[in-house]
Amino acid sequence: MVKPKTSPIPHLKPDPRASLWWVADSFGAILFAAGVAMAVSGKLSLATNLAWPLLLLAAGGALRAGAVGRAQIAGQVATARVQSSLRAMLHHHLLPTRLMRGRLIGEDMHLAVHSVAATEGLVARFLPLRMASGVVPVIIAVAVAPASWVASSIMLATLLPFILGMVLAGGAAARQAQAQHQALSRLSGLFVDRLRSLPTILAFSAEDRVTRHLGDAAQDVARRTMAVLGIAFASSAILEFFAALSVALVAVYCGFSLLGLLPFPVPEHLTLARAFYALALAPEFYLALRRLAAAYHDKQQGEAAIEAIEAEIAELPSPPAPCPTPRSWSGRAVMLSHPDGASIGPLDWAWRATGLHIISGPTGSGKSSLLLALIGQVPISGGTITIDGQLFSAGSLNAHIGWAGQQVALLPATLRANLAFGGEGDPAMLECLHRLGLAPMLAQRGGLDLVIDHRGSGLSGGERRRIGLARALLSGRPILMLDEPTADLDEQTAANVRAILADCAKAQMVLAASHDAALIAMAQSLCEVSA
Amino acid sequence: MSATLKAAIATQKRSIRWAVFCAVSAALSAVGLLAVSGWFLAGSAAAGLGGIAAVQGFNYLLPSAAIRAAAIARTATRYGERLLSHRAALYALAQFRTALFGMVAARALAGKSPASSGTMANRLGSDVDALEDAVIRQVTRPGAWSAGLAAAAAALMAGWIGCAILLATLALMRWCAKGLAARLLPCPIDRAAAAHEALQADYAEMAGPCADIAVYGLAPAMSDTLAEKARHYDLAQRDVVRAQALVSASQTLLATVGLVLLASFAQASAPIFALAMLGAMAGLENWGSLAVSDMRQHRVDLAQRHLASITAPHAAPTLASPPHRPDLMLCGQTIAYGSRLLVRGPSGVGKTRLLETLIGLREDAPQPIAVDGAIAGAEGGLAARRAIFALAAQDAPIMAGSVADNLALARSGLNETDMWEALKLACVDDVVRALPDGLQQWLGGDGARLSGGQKRRIALARALLADRPWLVLDEPSEGLDAATEARLVASLEQWLNRSGKGLLLVSHRPAMARLATSVIDL
Repeated sequence: MVKPKTSPIPHLKPDPRASLWWVADSFGAILFAAGVAMAVSGKLSLATNLAWPLLLLAAGGALRAGAVGRAQIAGQVATARVQSSLRAMLHHHLLPTRLMRGRLIGEDMHLAVHSVAATEGLVARFLPLRMASGVVPVIIAVAVAPASWVASSIMLATLLPFILGMVLAGGAAARQAQAQHQALSRLSGLFVDRLRSLPTILAFSAEDRVTRHLGDAAQDVARRTMAVLGIAFASSAILEFFAALSVALVAVYCGFSLLGLLPFPVPEHLTLARAFYALALAPEFYLALRRLAAAYHDKQQGEAAIEAIEAEIAELPSPPAPCPTPRSWSGRAVMLSHPDGASIGPLDWAWRATGLHIISGPTGSGKSSLLLALIGQVPISGGTITIDGQLFSAGSLNAHIGWAGQQVALLPATLRANLAFGGEGDPAMLECLHRLGLAPMLAQRGGLDLVIDHRGSGLSGGERRRIGLARALLSGRPILMLDEPTADLDEQTAANVRAILADCAKAQMVLAASHDAALIAMAQSLCEVSA
Repeated sequence: MSATLKAAIATQKRSIRWAVFCAVSAALSAVGLLAVSGWFLAGSAAAGLGGIAAVQGFNYLLPSAAIRAAAIARTATRYGERLLSHRAALYALAQFRTALFGMVAARALAGKSPASSGTMANRLGSDVDALEDAVIRQVTRPGAWSAGLAAAAAALMAGWIGCAILLATLALMRWCAKGLAARLLPCPIDRAAAAHEALQADYAEMAGPCADIAVYGLAPAMSDTLAEKARHYDLAQRDVVRAQALVSASQTLLATVGLVLLASFAQASAPIFALAMLGAMAGLENWGSLAVSDMRQHRVDLAQRHLASITAPHAAPTLASPPHRPDLMLCGQTIAYGSRLLVRGPSGVGKTRLLETLIGLREDAPQPIAVDGAIAGAEGGLAARRAIFALAAQDAPIMAGSVADNLALARSGLNETDMWEALKLACVDDVVRALPDGLQQWLGGDGARLSGGQKRRIALARALLADRPWLVLDEPSEGLDAATEARLVASLEQWLNRSGKGLLLVSHRPAMARLATSVIDL
């Protein structure tokens, strides 16, 4: 995977610790093989004391057990590290941009939670094993060489045709997987999709037809999967074949050498201990590669997840350069495209740095969409927007905007921390909350020390919205953008809000989407959005 | 194991039988390869030491041929084992999925609240995936058993004590793997699953108000909160891996102890000793792979327990042929067949709930409802009512599949001409024509992304194609611009006039509401 330098995705490196533990397993195998060889050779020379060989054997076994376990745990630790940086990166990029990318919450959630979890096998197993599989055959060959350099060469010699075979089979497997990829990813999700669509299917009496179709599709998936697996298994069969071949060749060579029946002269003298040591290590030569082949599915799954993440990150809009607070802000023939597909507009307005400016229109006409478009969340499809005569790029004023929308995101912290964006003290906060009619709630729930969790801590929707309004009013930012600030409030509180907004409008640019007639009557300008 | 799963696996008997044959052969040739190699080497060395006569008396052709044969047999049979066991699992589960879907559908139809039947979809999907191991282990087990027995036979050649040690090792390994896996794994696996779900829920809760997040820069603080939740998942996952590492380490350790004891107590010549040791090594390695199934046992158990609770209902609901021109009774008003009724009320009052209850998808609307004289909730549910209504729901559920697949849901025997006509009526034919693959364009997943308004009009075309006495539309023009909405209203009006069918409409858009001739206020 080649990534551009600017990619925010952490580079996936194999964890060296996990790889080292996999390599340590081979050293266990070497001790073990030495133990077995000495024991067998001891039997031949009729030695009675097998203490040393058995100690080596036990030490080798213990090292292997420990090393494989440690390798798995180290891989998991590395995964946790990679996943937490992936998550942090995704959360930072996805949370503020979901609307502008036109994604549903579920789609982003899938990427941020499920796709991240799907990288586990790749990071925990495949990458460390890939690194280990490059080293282990060399270590085993080097370990065998002092006992029998011919056996060592036989192992290395089988590696060449093996690599050739794997390249050919690997290429074929990749092509087959590629060819089936789209059909498989579509068809294999069909079962879950049809269960999810069951109410619709039942409402149209289509269950029998859908069941039949599902049966055909399921058979099709099985057939296509077998086509991919057939080639994948063939490449592991090549691996198995060379693994078995190297054992057989070493066994036959050593046997004939010990018998003195080799048809060609070799400049080495084999003893049973040496020969047996070479034989016991022969299966280890290919072990790391076999483990790697077994983790192939992990690799595919992980890479697909990383690709999905990369694709989404590549689509991220680049944030606009921030610009200073404007004295005027106007739009001419502005068209918006609603995520639902409808187009809104043309809209015209001319707002000055202070004053109350209303955007009005019937429910569902796109008042909120205009506000969202100005902070860069809804695409602007036509017209021109200027600030102080300069072309405006959506989102560039966000740092100067105190925003209160229909839905309110609160941080899991105290109410005070949630209102502290403008650096106001407790008295100002309390006064603002009181005027918004939140005094009874405050008295009941512990005032500004009320700890809010992201679920809202039992706050009603109306209370959340008023806290959102208070946050905007207390933000001290020169522009206020408020979506229906007086909706769903009792008359007294609504009147308070109007008075507050009239106050603010003396020093701030107050933009409100509203169809409250009393508020509209106070406005310096009105932008009508028609249905 | 449920009867349905058993039946599905039974259809793959032939594949499984051959797979077992391959697995047994692979295990035997793997043990044989190492055992004969060991014997051959030690025998050669003994003969080599014995001088020319001993060498000539040693039959080296047979063992060296056996070694090569075992190497080839191991490769071929292991390939066969993998291929056939996966084939059996894939086809058995394909069949099981289809049967399961049929049962879930029948249950939902006979049950109280079919509308909620889709909520378990993901869970069911992953449950069926987990069953793969239940099929594969039917093959790997006989393989491991024969490897164990072959190892015991090899050990027996070094004396009965050696054999007893090996058998004890085999038993101890199984006891340890099963016991450790059952004791250590279920808790962290459940914890990890719960943490994963909690993380998803928290993300979904936070990601909603993204304007606030963008303007106030809340993403870093939210990310920290989510990271804290993710840590629970990571810790649980780490405990799972630790437990798995412990289980597999226990197998290696016990096998090593067994081999050390075998070596110390074996009373045999060097060639037989070598045969016993290497045979036991290869056999125990294969035997240890049984632990993989032990570690998956908890997940398989959960899946089986969950799937076993899904059985076909005893009796499928039968119904008489649906009424041709049924009248409705809603909130005390009788609505004659062919009327055009607008259901109105503030948002959240339960308009959608009323429509869904009327159709039989749920039964919790408080209003009194009767269809063709039958009181809703008391008589028949969805099964009785669905022949009467064609619903285009507000959330416009589109299945993963082509546009044609989605339209064909309406009724059987539809051709492309019907579909294009309905798409034209729903003012969405131009959209479909512009898609790269037209009617065959795949929607959902990696397919074309349609806007909410476009999906809603495709769902409307589907409802028109269903040809039921009453058309039920829930906010059909939401998200449409005024011009398209006007075209849609005109087209629907024409269709209603021509077909004489009834209309139930929920809409807050004045242009759409003009279609109705009477109103119910909730």
